[in-house]
Amino acid sequence: MIVSINNLHKTFKGFKAVDGIDFEVEQGKCYGLLGPNGAGKSTSMYCLYGLVKPDHRSDTHMSVMGYDPRKREIEIKSLTGIVPQENNLDRELNVRENLQIYARLHAIPPNIAKDRIDEQLEFMELTEKANVPVQALSGGMQRRLAFARALLNKPKLLLLDEPTTGLDPQVRQVLWAKLRNLMKENVTIILTTHYMEEAYRLADHVYIVNNGKNVIDGRPQSLVQENIESFVLELKDPELMKHFEQDSDGIRVESADEGGYAYSNDISQLQKISEKMTTERHSVIIRQSNLEDLFLKITGRGLNE
Amino acid sequence: MSNQSSKTLQSSPTHTPRFLQQSIGVWSRHFKVYSKNLISNMLPPLLEPFIFLAGIGLGLGRYIDKMDGVPYVRFLLTGLLVSASMFTSAFECTYGTFIRMKFDKVYHVMLGSPISATSLMTGELLWASTKGLVFTLSVLFVGYISGIFVLGEALIAPILGFLNALMFASMGLVITSLVKSINHFTFFFTGLLSPMFFFAGVVFPLQELPESLQIISEIMPLTHPIRIVRMFMEQSFSIIILWDFLYIIVFSLIMSFIGIRRIKNILII
Repeated sequence: MIVSINNLHKTFKGFKAVDGIDFEVEQGKCYGLLGPNGAGKSTSMYCLYGLVKPDHRSDTHMSVMGYDPRKREIEIKSLTGIVPQENNLDRELNVRENLQIYARLHAIPPNIAKDRIDEQLEFMELTEKANVPVQALSGGMQRRLAFARALLNKPKLLLLDEPTTGLDPQVRQVLWAKLRNLMKENVTIILTTHYMEEAYRLADHVYIVNNGKNVIDGRPQSLVQENIESFVLELKDPELMKHFEQDSDGIRVESADEGGYAYSNDISQLQKISEKMTTERHSVIIRQSNLEDLFLKITGRGLNE
Repeated sequence: MSNQSSKTLQSSPTHTPRFLQQSIGVWSRHFKVYSKNLISNMLPPLLEPFIFLAGIGLGLGRYIDKMDGVPYVRFLLTGLLVSASMFTSAFECTYGTFIRMKFDKVYHVMLGSPISATSLMTGELLWASTKGLVFTLSVLFVGYISGIFVLGEALIAPILGFLNALMFASMGLVITSLVKSINHFTFFFTGLLSPMFFFAGVVFPLQELPESLQIISEIMPLTHPIRIVRMFMEQSFSIIILWDFLYIIVFSLIMSFIGIRRIKNILII
């Protein structure tokens, strides 16, 4: 285990943001922390490198690459790369200068720093932009620069807080490919995300958290297989809900303001329902269940805020 | 505990920066950002003393011949050597720090690199003090080229500029840790720094003031570095210089301690 966290708690002014979270992370694998806004994902991540102090409790155990982040944050940060939710780049400086600052903060000797920066610029395909001011970069390029910044110290552990939020599909695909390359080099990744697709594609193991607690964890594929029906019929129009008798014939119904969902392991059952609605067919979809369905089943369809 | 640790893989970093190295890393970040716009950043500290010279020298200076036995422009420019460093360092660790902390969220990312919140804030103080030194140097430069100071005179001024800036930077950190909104800094500048500019011996000597005001002046931080610089300028020393140095050191230490601690508690929650 490269990271081992047991019984993590964090209270902000009486509010329990993290309420006994556990997780274990193996080297070279990618772990996804999933959960609605305010579930405690980012707070837990911040605790790993000392940006948030966990509640003082004797039953909390923390080890990140062999160090306790409550005491040895500097060692952990030397070995870790961090991509925060917001890029927080120095907007007046150019791409190379942004990286120079962080090479210095990582105490990388100047003669090595130049090569490292060139290497990361190339890896993130920013070489041609080296002398361009950050404010002239697109959102995707700024994100890649934030990744390059996190990789300068050749981290063993990469912490990504919503790494691809707000990016276009092309940039996301490129970044996912880069992350897979890093995993081949035995870099361990922990990421928080709201994109179930991202978790499904990248993570070897996901932890779904809600209200500061672990809810379920495992391989994303097996989680979906084991915890939710295989197929779902999706109704876009809440009016059509009248066609359902609640939870009958091996069908589980979930209704929400935006429409209704009927889950079943038997696709023919769903097809039968669909046929009953021939006139309104255009707003009926039958598809395989995915991690998002599981996520919504577990964390609820209502707003958590 | 030990059971947990032994289960996890221990990696050792090849190199972790020490405290001062961390702070210098922070300092060099600020230096890089500042020197990016060197011309626009260096213009005010050079221009301001010229404006004072023109305004006072050509205007007020004609009516006031000497102040405390010293030609008035010289008296004033000596005071500016120190007050320039006060304004820039106070500004840096109030508006500057607040913007970096709350708006740009630079600290949030910087704290992801191997630096502690304490060394981050120490770097802030070092940087603000360096800026104070630079501002003092530019007033000194204006003094030399205008012939008001004799070349080689007042070489102690940059040191006092640095120390004075440290006092106001650390005080700035304390203020920054207290304000809820960036607008509240106006109280600090108008309520504390502006009066200090007039009642700490920059524009007129303190011995002319009523006794009660003199006591207040003695409490004000700016009074002390100004008195030291004037002693060196006019080569007339008194034992009170020890009290002045002691004040500067103790004030800086206390304010730095409180300021760093309080900002740290905002950054690391």
